[in-house]
Amino acid sequence: MIIDNLYSRARGRNTTIACFYFDFAAQSEQSAASILGSLLKQLVFGLEEIPEEISEAYEDRKYAMGGQGLQISDILNMLQIATARKRALICIDALDECATEHRVKLLDSLGQLLQQSPGTRIFVTGRPHILPEIETRLGERTESISISPKREDIATYLRSRLAADTTPDAMDSTLEEDILEKISSDISEM
Amino acid sequence: MGEVDRRVPLYPKGYTKTTHFFSPPPRNSGNRPTPLSTIDSCNILRGEEQKMSQSFSNNLNSFNSFNPTYINTTYINPTAADDRPNILAWLSPLDPKLRHQGIRDRRIESVGEWLLQTEEFRDWYAGSEGGKSDNAVLFCCGNPGVGKTFVR
Repeated sequence: MIIDNLYSRARGRNTTIACFYFDFAAQSEQSAASILGSLLKQLVFGLEEIPEEISEAYEDRKYAMGGQGLQISDILNMLQIATARKRALICIDALDECATEHRVKLLDSLGQLLQQSPGTRIFVTGRPHILPEIETRLGERTESISISPKREDIATYLRSRLAADTTPDAMDSTLEEDILEKISSDISEM
Repeated sequence: MGEVDRRVPLYPKGYTKTTHFFSPPPRNSGNRPTPLSTIDSCNILRGEEQKMSQSFSNNLNSFNSFNPTYINTTYINPTAADDRPNILAWLSPLDPKLRHQGIRDRRIESVGEWLLQTEEFRDWYAGSEGGKSDNAVLFCCGNPGVGKTFVR
């Protein structure tokens, strides 16, 4: 939701966006280097032109390294180049699902990036227990919002699902109200 | 059956080879035929490629009797614009947009928009546009299943 909104806000503005969704199931391919590489790719994609420094680095390396094995330091350099061109928004979902050793490296790298490119904004979601880690590694400039299910969100969601019900005859408005009432009150106990 | 002439290099190092299986346009620029669109050219190429591989397998001799003026080989010097997809792929092979696309298709419009109205979010977003807040990081926390990614 946030990401869609940010994308539509960024359109026509001097902003480039990158997002990454963590997933326990795919931890093996989610190393700090590959995540940062993915973020870099998206930020560069959002620029009208590939910065000369990056295309030069590509020309230098494409034969020597076979296109493989970018180091975190290389990626950080290029991230800095990309974020200097445009304001960058980085969104990371479910950071707590990132393997711990990669998370430390990732946060340290992002912390460095923030120091070098102060205009960059980072949006993170995750379970509360990683907040201290984020504060330590990304510095003091962290604000947090607690997400809890909102009654009106649930109602919107349920109505939309009920409207798509394939057996609408089985549903009448009283039953619909009952369902909304019951689920909403369960939610507030979460 | 003569041997294939191996003295002719396939194409110079660092160049991409594209082969046009139709006659080159006349040199005098004032009288050029209307250029084909890229898609047309691709279709022509694909058709000719099939014909050619067929004739190769049917009769290897055709290679030697093939009229060399029929093939016009041009060399394209790679430019930065041509390299854009390559550079992006070099930066990362991953494509998290796919995941985002999957979530976007399943989420429901307007759910969760309250978050955008919070002071925390607005300060975070406006901060780098000269706002007073200097929070670079916004952390949305919640227990599993509360709808941090989206409500499903």
